[in-house]
Amino acid sequence: MARLTPGTVKTLAQELYDYRLADDAAASVAHMIGAMAAHSRRLQNLGLAGLQPPFGYPTLVAEANRCRRRE
Amino acid sequence: MSTHDEIRAFDVATLAAKLRVKQISPVEVTDAYLDRIEKTDGRLRAYITVTAETARAAAKKAETEISAGNWRGPFHGVPIALKDLCYTRGIRTTGGSKILGDFVPDFDCTLWARLAAAGAILLGKLNLHEFASGATSTNPHWGTCHNPYNLDRVPGGSSGGSGAAIVARSAAATIGTDTGGSIRIPAAFCGCVGLKQTWSRVSRYGVLPLADSLDHAGPMTRTVRDAALMLNVIAGRDPNDATSSREPVPDYVGACEREIKGLRIGVVKELTAGLADEVARSFNAALVQLRSLGADVTEVSIPAIEHAAAIATNITWAEAAEYHEQWMRTRPQDYGADVRRMLEAAMLVPAAHYVRAQRARAVLLAQALAALDKCAVLVAPTSAIPAPRIDVGSRALMPTGEAVNMVTAVLRFTAPFNVTGQPALALPTGLAADGLPVSMQVIGKPFDEPAVFQVAAAYEAARGPLPEPKL
Repeated sequence: MARLTPGTVKTLAQELYDYRLADDAAASVAHMIGAMAAHSRRLQNLGLAGLQPPFGYPTLVAEANRCRRRE
Repeated sequence: MSTHDEIRAFDVATLAAKLRVKQISPVEVTDAYLDRIEKTDGRLRAYITVTAETARAAAKKAETEISAGNWRGPFHGVPIALKDLCYTRGIRTTGGSKILGDFVPDFDCTLWARLAAAGAILLGKLNLHEFASGATSTNPHWGTCHNPYNLDRVPGGSSGGSGAAIVARSAAATIGTDTGGSIRIPAAFCGCVGLKQTWSRVSRYGVLPLADSLDHAGPMTRTVRDAALMLNVIAGRDPNDATSSREPVPDYVGACEREIKGLRIGVVKELTAGLADEVARSFNAALVQLRSLGADVTEVSIPAIEHAAAIATNITWAEAAEYHEQWMRTRPQDYGADVRRMLEAAMLVPAAHYVRAQRARAVLLAQALAALDKCAVLVAPTSAIPAPRIDVGSRALMPTGEAVNMVTAVLRFTAPFNVTGQPALALPTGLAADGLPVSMQVIGKPFDEPAVFQVAAAYEAARGPLPEPKL
């Protein structure tokens, strides 16, 4: 499990988002993010090499066209 | 003339047949449902907004149209309600939040526009877990939503009001949304049908997002056939939703008529462990019932399913954090404690982990499709447990006695099919000894909702009706 401290997550929230994380929240968030990071590392064992993320180009083009219609 | 109780006993299909031949009028039907809301919603809190006046006006219009021979289809004159994530022009759309407490959209979401064009009557907007971000529908801003079978239990979430209203008969059909199970969990806990169809099958235009790449909006109904009727109205390409599919929309209702003799059904092995005894018993009885209908029930394996809840959570957090960032900076105090805590953690999900979770979806879908190579559909319990008590908060007691996060207890069963985008329909398998509903999911290949309806409808007919809750 990733070793995130409450202090680290407080700093990250402050620096990245200008968001003040309370002390009790910081401890809980550090635990939640640590657990999530550990899960994420395990996903590497699924053999993801060469797999594309499901972000389709047709959606990109369609959204660009919708943006142009809005202008 | 029918009594209000008789009218409310009709499912949408029956109601439609009677409305069409003018045996009952949309005005009577709407009054019956508004009366029910008035009598029960003080205890249930299924509704955030009741649109009684506009509903009565729409009912009169529908009555005039049907009387003139202009019947528009099975939803003409049928009173329904929408989860309060769905934009409704001129009607408050809160997302179950304080932040959007006064938000009034100036357009309708596509799915409501389609239902309204089909003649449906809007009874109101339904309670939910704030911003669809939890599984209890214990809402600090609009009141705690209760389970009609036991008011001390949660209705599930996030579409808790949508499930409660169906079972309490305070709407003929409802719309819910599902990012990790938010249609199927309340369908399971309240004892109704909930369909999360294939991702992209129904437009999400005008539906407040939780996580775009996992979000679905779909029917919650009393019967499988009603879900098929509703999907036939709301499915299909929408130019306003670039992700909506161009796949043709088949006849879903017709699929409900087909026998399942000889059909192979796969039981997802990984989702049959860790069940409460009553859930296991009811699920096994459902498998026996499917076999008695002539289905060939066999076990299949999707090993990567153990990663599904983590994949779904990672993606949901990352996408939700992006949507909520501005409000988290400026109005954090206006979120409920649990949603705020989730978003605080969500803000710190590394981008690399988000992309990895997205890539992992293909592995899970590949395994699910392999399991479906020789099966028409898959089945699994919808939840390991029946509805937990409201006063346990977001914790739930597992069969082992271990207290775990409620989301974890149910997400393991439902989230895999948000990750894969496959259609999954939850329907009750009966009531447990304590009178609480238990449920099974029927899962299909992408865009093969007809097979899901076929199996679910056959099982539902064999199962027979559930006892009604005593409210």
